[in-house]
Amino acid sequence: MSSTDALARPWSIAVDIGGTFTDITIQDTASGRAWTAKTPSTPHDPSEAFLTGVRLALEAAEGAASGVGRVLHGTTVATNMILEGKGAKAALVTTAGFRHVLDIGRQDIPRRVNLHAWVKPERPVPPARVFEVTERVSAQGEVLVPLDEATVRAAAEACRAAGVSAVAVCLLHAFTAPEHERRVAEMLRAALPGVAVTASSDVLPVVREYERSLATILNAQVMPAVSTYVQRLEERLEGEGVAAPLLLMKSNGGVAGAAAIRRAPAVTALSGPAAGVVGARAIAAAAGFPDIITVDIGGTSADICLMKGGEIRLTQTGHIGDWPLPLPMVDMVTIGAGGGSLARVTAAGALAVGPESADAVPGPACYGRGGTRATVTDAHVALGHLPPSLLGGRMTLDVPAARQAVQDNVATPLGLDLHAAARGILAIADSNMVGAVRVVSVERGHDPRDFALVPFGGAGPLHGCALADLLGIRAVLVPPSPGVLCAQGLLAADLKAEFSRSLSDATPEVVEAGYAALEEEAAAWFAEEQVPPARRETHRVALMRYAGQGGELAVPWPGGMSAAAAAFAAQHKALYGFDLPEGTAELVTLRLEAVGQLSGTITAPLPPGRGAAPMGHHTVHFASGTREAALYDRAALGAGDHFAGPAIVTQLDATTLVPPGWEAQMDASGALVLRRQENAA
Amino acid sequence: MTDFAPPARLCDPVTLEIVRGAIRAAQAEMEALIERTAMSAFIREKKDFYTALFDAEGVMAVGSNVPVFGDICGPVFRKFAPDTMQPGDLYWYNDCYGSRGAVSHSNDQVFLAPVFHAGRRVAFVMGWAHFADIGGLRPGSISPDATDIFQEGIIVPPTKLIAAGTINEAALDIFYRNSRFPRAAQGDTRALMASVELGVARMAEIAGRFGAEVLADALRQLFERTRETVRERLKQTFPVGTWRFTDRIDGDGHGSGPLRIRFALTRTPDDRFILDATETDDQSVGPVNFLMNPDVPGMALGLYFLGGEAAQVVNAGGPRALDEVRLREGSLVQPRFPAALGMRGLTMMRVLAALNGLVSVAGGEAPAAHAAYVIMLLRGTAGGKPFLMSDGIGVGYGARAFADGIDAVYFVAQENYPVEFLEQEYPVRMRRYGIHADSGGPGRWRGGCGIVREYEVMAEEAVMAIRIDGVENPPWGAGGGMSGRPGRVTVNPGTPQERVLRPLSDGNRLVRGDILRIETGGGGGRGHPFDRPAEAVLADVLGGFVSMDAAARDYGVAVREGAVDAAATEGLRADRPAAKEFHRGSYAHVLD
Repeated sequence: MSSTDALARPWSIAVDIGGTFTDITIQDTASGRAWTAKTPSTPHDPSEAFLTGVRLALEAAEGAASGVGRVLHGTTVATNMILEGKGAKAALVTTAGFRHVLDIGRQDIPRRVNLHAWVKPERPVPPARVFEVTERVSAQGEVLVPLDEATVRAAAEACRAAGVSAVAVCLLHAFTAPEHERRVAEMLRAALPGVAVTASSDVLPVVREYERSLATILNAQVMPAVSTYVQRLEERLEGEGVAAPLLLMKSNGGVAGAAAIRRAPAVTALSGPAAGVVGARAIAAAAGFPDIITVDIGGTSADICLMKGGEIRLTQTGHIGDWPLPLPMVDMVTIGAGGGSLARVTAAGALAVGPESADAVPGPACYGRGGTRATVTDAHVALGHLPPSLLGGRMTLDVPAARQAVQDNVATPLGLDLHAAARGILAIADSNMVGAVRVVSVERGHDPRDFALVPFGGAGPLHGCALADLLGIRAVLVPPSPGVLCAQGLLAADLKAEFSRSLSDATPEVVEAGYAALEEEAAAWFAEEQVPPARRETHRVALMRYAGQGGELAVPWPGGMSAAAAAFAAQHKALYGFDLPEGTAELVTLRLEAVGQLSGTITAPLPPGRGAAPMGHHTVHFASGTREAALYDRAALGAGDHFAGPAIVTQLDATTLVPPGWEAQMDASGALVLRRQENAA
Repeated sequence: MTDFAPPARLCDPVTLEIVRGAIRAAQAEMEALIERTAMSAFIREKKDFYTALFDAEGVMAVGSNVPVFGDICGPVFRKFAPDTMQPGDLYWYNDCYGSRGAVSHSNDQVFLAPVFHAGRRVAFVMGWAHFADIGGLRPGSISPDATDIFQEGIIVPPTKLIAAGTINEAALDIFYRNSRFPRAAQGDTRALMASVELGVARMAEIAGRFGAEVLADALRQLFERTRETVRERLKQTFPVGTWRFTDRIDGDGHGSGPLRIRFALTRTPDDRFILDATETDDQSVGPVNFLMNPDVPGMALGLYFLGGEAAQVVNAGGPRALDEVRLREGSLVQPRFPAALGMRGLTMMRVLAALNGLVSVAGGEAPAAHAAYVIMLLRGTAGGKPFLMSDGIGVGYGARAFADGIDAVYFVAQENYPVEFLEQEYPVRMRRYGIHADSGGPGRWRGGCGIVREYEVMAEEAVMAIRIDGVENPPWGAGGGMSGRPGRVTVNPGTPQERVLRPLSDGNRLVRGDILRIETGGGGGRGHPFDRPAEAVLADVLGGFVSMDAAARDYGVAVREGAVDAAATEGLRADRPAAKEFHRGSYAHVLD
């Protein structure tokens, strides 16, 4: 069954597996109609809930398994393994003489830490499991020392003795000359059946041995689990009679087929957050907002991203936890500020919020599970931002416990009254997020006031208007289901891959030949993903710098070096405030961005409303005074319904706070659009 | 309480935290800009640059986590009265003696700009970076051969580089003309100027958002908070009396050494804290003199006392926690003009260790001594073109009372040149880059290990300068821990042509095919090595950090076939050597 045929079938299914619930959305790609289902997650084998969800979705839509055209999935398997250091037991094979590449790292004490207190983080592979092979290639790619295969066999034996289930191979200069590395990987695969072997030149063919070794190791470490996981999902689908491709979200905001993911599972390190960003883009586009800043606030962290003209920018200098991971990923900033972030007063009398957070147990004090420390969520509860019951009545908040926690941990030590203390906690959390918004906007040459804010995640819509006020943003878009935006992202995503090649000498012939070679690689990938020619799209991008600089800027390739140099200089000036007229701009790396367009979503329009009617009122302590806020049920609002703050809009997965001075209107796309009133005080 | 009445607080604790966060964000933005746009490898790969923000009177309010800064603004103010400054001004200097050690070797360029809001001066912003070459005796400008500061490159006294937006291009032209690599100097200058300009814009926005009065109060509070914390910790650490500690560097490379740094910290009965460095040895001929600004000891002690608390800020509160710093002109830490200063990093790193020593002598548990980072400069011609490679190599840091010393690090925020980068850019090939086994001082907590970096010279011909210390006087251990093991530099090791280089020397000629092995020193250990868990010693053996012989000899742990031999270990550990407070080569109650 080819994908061309599959794409013609009516149903798309998106599955998002969370810690507690697995959310499933099924959509009729012709009409845009969508149904959602929810089932408890099954952490011992997530594919169980996955399958239950698919069945529930097909039932809800009265669809048949044979009518499913694609199954889309965002996975946190790799992310969690990397963050928690729980990847497979792995070994690293490296060039003789460089066994301690990980222990040395970049030999620095990070700029922001105190050298007396800092402890070097434990490496993902200890030095006892780094094995050397005799070989050497020069920076220009010539073989200086031929590969000594006896040392490879010894390394394989050492891997076997150590009982590893994954091996990363990263040899010096393999990004220029991968032959030795490929041979080592081949020999190890033959000698170590069942062990996942990754070569650095297949994961990340770029200069800098420490970063490349790490990326290769992380890839190897998540490979067994991701591979098993993906295979199980495929088997489950097949058993259910679903013969559609399984597509997984990558960190770059595009999806790829299961085969590609199995080869390089580290590309899913930011799968979840990337899906959210793509979803936010789709929601905003449907409501007519191409320029947005997204703020995804969860329990422990917030992810912030900027899109101009609907374009999601990529970075290759990202981090996951303590580790640099220079794979293409959505250019977002993550900070330790979420609903569960703890507020405390330091010995010196400073109020600090996060990055420590209350774990799921006991959680914020207001959850009534014995927590006594104050969190951001407790501050919201103390001020009345959240109604006393959540999740459609399934959860009751312990308001006195929240107030007590804020009083004891913050108000009393600082000599503030309860409400001032709670507002202080929120002000600091908001300020931290504003700092991150500035990183993605002002630091990249954008004025945040030209953008709409899209807050999502369970805690996002509580902070949206406050953040907008601080940033001078006039419009806030709250997605239809802010807590489960990943599903929208999956349904809206295209297939995406990047191919790149470093150059030492950028003559017109070399550049043209380089792009042509990359286009061949892309064509092979399109074929593997079964993308019909009409849906293929490629973009040539040049990574450029002034000779001697350490970082490059990405410039769309205009077809010639002098035009590229001019475009680079203009971007350099816009970003950094200066350009160097006599400086030689260099073309360092060619990149080809390949997109296989999927049909994308059509949002079914929301039926017109019959006027917003509050279902009750709740007392909220705003800085400007205590007010009765109207309570609205999001599900009861129709297109065009509008009301003014102060108001609280409740729904199953999130709560939206509309402060005085803001007004809300339901857009036909389903987004709730909040706008600052012109003459608001 | 404080010895002055606290002023009314305009800035509440919440706003204070928000202002602090905003300033930190501005600082991060300035640093990112320098990193992305600077041209010399020294700045973009090695990242030898820092930023800081000051209040309207030039008092450092938010600095970097680097304890080596002096009073940055004073030298500019002495020549240009702050009240005459205008928006768009930028001031520049690298004059060590003219700044009383605010910068301590001439490669470091300071750019400082006032920030105005609504016509009023509200702050100052600084960007600082090490420039790869500013002229002088040899490429790289710092050389162990230098004997006066005029051999260490062009000296820039406090200069108004930009007057209300108008750049003094002539001054820059003279500066660039004095560099052997003018294009890099120009690129780095533009990057640093753009960064300071950005910082000025951000600080003006912060002043606009919170108001000049609130900002001023916030900066004052940040300063006070640090000062009070450091002062409180000083009182907890040092009982009334005088506490002394002496540390040494091996020598100046010109025949004198060891050279002693002698510190005495006195707490008077009325709680004045006086740091006296006057008994330090005389200044030297070679360039190891450290023109120590009086703010440095307080800055360094402050950094130690603030510890890992993220909300704390390193600033002038550290220096102001000390009541007096006594220095003797003509000493190693207060040399007379025009003594050479280029290699002062070596003495500076021992000064930091000596301050830790003072804390330890008084019964505190500061880290044991660290090795001083190692510098090599290789200059020559390759393919007919001149080149300069300045490589900084990491060392081991001192063990803490709660953790091992940090292995294989250079200093705060300074990164290495990746092997793949180095081989692309310079005529060298790397044969080995790894941990220097057994260099970490044995202890319950092991001192950090140094590095082995082995190069093959590919240039037709090159001249090398090397700076490595602690060869004769390795970093001391404390609380029963032993000293780190020294480094050394060898050419063509293991061959008939093997030669060991003088640890602080220049003019070392190398030719194509020569092998250069640099082994750097480790940090001191803390606590008795026999108290280190046998499993931790085993992991070190398996990881290549400690040899089997050293495990048995130093730790009393027998390792056989990849496992601890429990019976043999018990036997070895039954014969436990007696320890004393400090250790440098051998145990001693007092180091001298």
